[in-house]
Amino acid sequence: MESLNERLMSALQQVSGYIYPNEIELHWSLLIVIYPFITGLVAGAFILASLEKVFNVKELTPTYRFALLTALSFLFVAPLPLLAHLGHPLRSYEIFFTPNLSSAMAAFGFVYAWYLMAVLLLEVWFEFRKDLILWAREERGLIKWIHRALALFSTDVSEEAVRFDEKAAKIITVIGIPSAFLLHGYVGFIFGSIKANPWWSSVLIPIVFLASAIVSGIALVLILYTIVTLLRSEKIDMKCLDRLVEFLFYAVIIDFSLEVLDFIHRLYQSEDSIKILSQMVCNKLFVSLVIMQVLLGTVLPAIFLVFFRYSRFPEELRRLAYFISALLIEMGIFCTRWNVVIGGQLFSKSFRGLTVFKVEITGFEGILMSLALLALPFIILFVVLKILPPWRISSLPVDKN
Amino acid sequence: MKRFPNQIIRLIIPFVIIIAGLLIAKKFLVPASFGKLGHFRADALGEAMSKPIHYVGQQACADCHDEIVKKKAASYHKGVACEVCHGPGSAHVDSPTENKPPAPRDRGFCPVCHSYNPSRPTGFPQIVTVTHNPGKACISCHNAHDPVPPHAPEQCGACHGDIARTKMASPHVDVPCTVCHETPTEHRMNPRMYVPTIPANREFCGKCHAKDAQSAKEIPRIDMGTHGERYVCWECHYPHLPQVYNGAAK
Ligand code: HEC
Ligand code: HEC
Ligand code: HEC
Ligand code: HEC
Ligand code: HEC
Ligand code: HEC
Ligand code: HEC
Ligand code: HEC
Repeated sequence: MESLNERLMSALQQVSGYIYPNEIELHWSLLIVIYPFITGLVAGAFILASLEKVFNVKELTPTYRFALLTALSFLFVAPLPLLAHLGHPLRSYEIFFTPNLSSAMAAFGFVYAWYLMAVLLLEVWFEFRKDLILWAREERGLIKWIHRALALFSTDVSEEAVRFDEKAAKIITVIGIPSAFLLHGYVGFIFGSIKANPWWSSVLIPIVFLASAIVSGIALVLILYTIVTLLRSEKIDMKCLDRLVEFLFYAVIIDFSLEVLDFIHRLYQSEDSIKILSQMVCNKLFVSLVIMQVLLGTVLPAIFLVFFRYSRFPEELRRLAYFISALLIEMGIFCTRWNVVIGGQLFSKSFRGLTVFKVEITGFEGILMSLALLALPFIILFVVLKILPPWRISSLPVDKN
Repeated sequence: MKRFPNQIIRLIIPFVIIIAGLLIAKKFLVPASFGKLGHFRADALGEAMSKPIHYVGQQACADCHDEIVKKKAASYHKGVACEVCHGPGSAHVDSPTENKPPAPRDRGFCPVCHSYNPSRPTGFPQIVTVTHNPGKACISCHNAHDPVPPHAPEQCGACHGDIARTKMASPHVDVPCTVCHETPTEHRMNPRMYVPTIPANREFCGKCHAKDAQSAKEIPRIDMGTHGERYVCWECHYPHLPQVYNGAAK
């Protein structure tokens, strides 16, 4: 009894004003910040890839396959933060076996499975099937068998079959765009539909999430494309990079205007929560929201992007500026997720007090775990790029029929 | 004639295997009683019911501690259950002499509810723990089962700490509470039965602030006819911190 009381007392020291007992400790921790961050990257990278496929943006061809594989690598990791946070990964199959139709959270398994199995894997498979077969023909040893197995042992590379692959990939992309919207819109919906939390409860949230997802996905592909091309000592396709930057800029503008709209909407509606929310923004979230998200993560890189896109600086300098801006944007989007997830739990639902969030270092939900989860997709991508090098063009010709 | 594309067949095979595998796994993995009563395992009810009970409720104590229960029921702590202070009592009820429940005898516990906190409701008895008779256990002066102060608090601030502290830093610091609130002495003993008055109209403040008021010279004057139109003054001035206009400091 004493120790419980002491624990409570020491926790209460960090609290300002009045909060309910179950609000002292935050229940959704760092891992839940990472979850929408990663799903956002997946959706964003995929939408970028579909630009090339569906809307025929020719300049982006060098990043098409690359963006697909990036989305795939990150998608593999997307559910891991949730599994680690819930702490019972061995029970995860239950959301498939006993589907709960009245729970939005329980729908995640199906949203995820649809996107992975019906969209991304299929599209990657149709995209690479021809190459897998042709590569396997000129290879030997283990890699030959891996490539053959990945092609599901199909051997048909007639022109007709290849045409069919292309058509299939295109149809899947067309299905994939709404699916990507669904995937990340769904994550936003999880937050936006929580009536009791005025920081989350907003119909705009899914849309804001989507816009920021697109921003983060494009920035990620830009960063990875730059790094990987340099590592391969190839020349960066500057036309492609410029086009990427244009799209990135548009996405940033849309995302930022939506966020501002949401902000004005809240201010003008001025519901009873507005006092505590503005207190929170001015104190607890000042650094992560005003400075890191808005100034360093949005305004500064947006100015950078336009300035360097339309200036006549040498290419190296422009590339560097793009790269830094994309990094800043990525940091800004991470802060966006942080501000949504952590911010929504910092204020009391009595609207009378604020609590604090203490990040652990070790532990299941700590910083080390989070860093590991953030590093994992890059490791997976490295392996995927080894097995499915998007830039490798087979020297063998397609069969004629 | 067009062939059925070979790659579709190749794709269908693994999909069929996966889906069939899942359907078979579902048969084995979903517990038999799932869904009988709702979206949960019906057997879980029995398991939960067989778990040990920790809390027994106040009625259980009455069998043996009749006097304390009665005393407390008539006291200010009538809304505070025994087990809030003494912890879960199930083991004690089963074998009273072997399992004695702890009692919070030191100063650490009572302030959980009684330390000063501006967001507690008006009139809730609160103390500033560090200045309220430091060094002595609360129970040396207050009976936990029938908590009354040894004598009625003289100062309004003992119960209206927030207001008293606010007023302390306002221009009204020298205007005693009782000038504006006629307070029956019984209010200090029995606050809910004997309620003080609250100023009713604009003219009340005018007694000191009107142009023609008989009051000290340094008190700022206003034109009662035009200032603030016909609203009561506390639409705009919080009376305990009157320099605050409608929430914004001047
Ligand atoms: C079956 C009768 C019985 C019931 C029911 C019972 N008690 Fe007791 N309780 C006793 C007896 C007998 C003692 C004295 C034990 C001793 O001094 O050895 C006691 C002692 C106590 C003490 C003092 C322990 C101490 O350290 O001196 C507390 C506190 C207490 N009971 C609380 C409770 C509460 C709270 C409940 C209701 C949840 C409760 N009791 C229900 C019989 C009972
Ligand atoms: C506000 C907290 C609080 C509540 C509520 C409370 N107690 Fe106590 N109780 C105490 C404290 C503190 C002591 C120790 C008093 C002492 O040592 O002088 C105590 C002592 C006791 C004792 C042993 C000493 C004695 O006076 O006989 C019993 C028995 C007891 N309580 C029973 C109960 C029962 C039964 C209830 C519910 C009707 C109850 N208490 C509710 C705080 C509380
Ligand atoms: C679970 C919260 C809680 C705890 C713990 C608690 N109290 Fe109280 N106390 C109350 C409530 C509720 C009232 C009644 C307030 C009212 O009537 O508005 C009260 C009233 C009082 C009063 C004021 C009686 C009056 O004349 O106004 C005193 C004195 C008091 N408690 C002392 C104590 C002491 C000493 C302890 C520790 C043994 C204690 N309380 C523990 C909730 C608590
Ligand atoms: C030396 C005796 C003594 C001790 C020890 C003591 N008090 Fe008091 N308490 C008083 C007196 C006397 C008053 C009347 C207050 C006044 O006149 O200002 C009072 C008033 C109160 C009140 C306000 C009651 C009301 O109706 O406004 C509360 C609450 C209270 N005490 C709780 C506690 C708590 C909790 C502790 C332990 C941390 C404690 N007291 C320790 C003597 C004591
Ligand atoms: C023992 C604690 C206590 C003391 C001492 C006390 N009050 Fe109160 N007072 C209360 C409580 C409890 C209420 C809330 C009554 C209600 O809401 O029904 C209250 C309510 C009031 C109200 C509001 C009445 C209303 O209609 O809402 C005023 C005004 C007030 N007190 C003034 C005073 C003044 C002035 C003093 C000092 C002379 C004082 N009180 C001393 C406990 C106290
Ligand atoms: C200048 C006159 C004035 C003085 C001095 C004053 N009050 Fe008031 N008080 C008022 C008025 C006017 C209201 C009604 C405000 C309202 O209805 O919004 C009020 C309301 C209250 C209330 C009930 C509403 C609330 O805010 O909780 C309490 C309790 C109270 N006063 C206590 C006190 C106490 C205690 C003091 C001394 C520390 C004090 N007042 C001093 C003018 C005064
Ligand atoms: C007993 C006389 C008295 C009454 C009644 C009174 N006041 Fe005052 N008021 C004063 C005094 C004294 C000052 C402080 C003058 C000074 O600054 O020296 C003051 C200052 C003020 C101020 C000026 C604050 C500033 O900006 O410096 C306001 C506003 C005010 N009172 C509003 C009110 C309201 C509203 C009421 C009615 C609820 C009221 N007063 C009732 C005596 C009174
Ligand atoms: C509609 C809102 C409103 C109402 C109602 C109102 N006031 Fe004011 N009062 C103000 C504002 C705003 C100021 C500050 C104006 C300024 O500085 O010129 C003020 C200033 C004052 C001052 C300070 C003047 C000075 O010279 O520093 C006093 C005293 C005062 N009010 C008393 C009252 C009294 C008494 C009443 C009720 C008869 C009242 N007020 C009603 C809004 C209001």
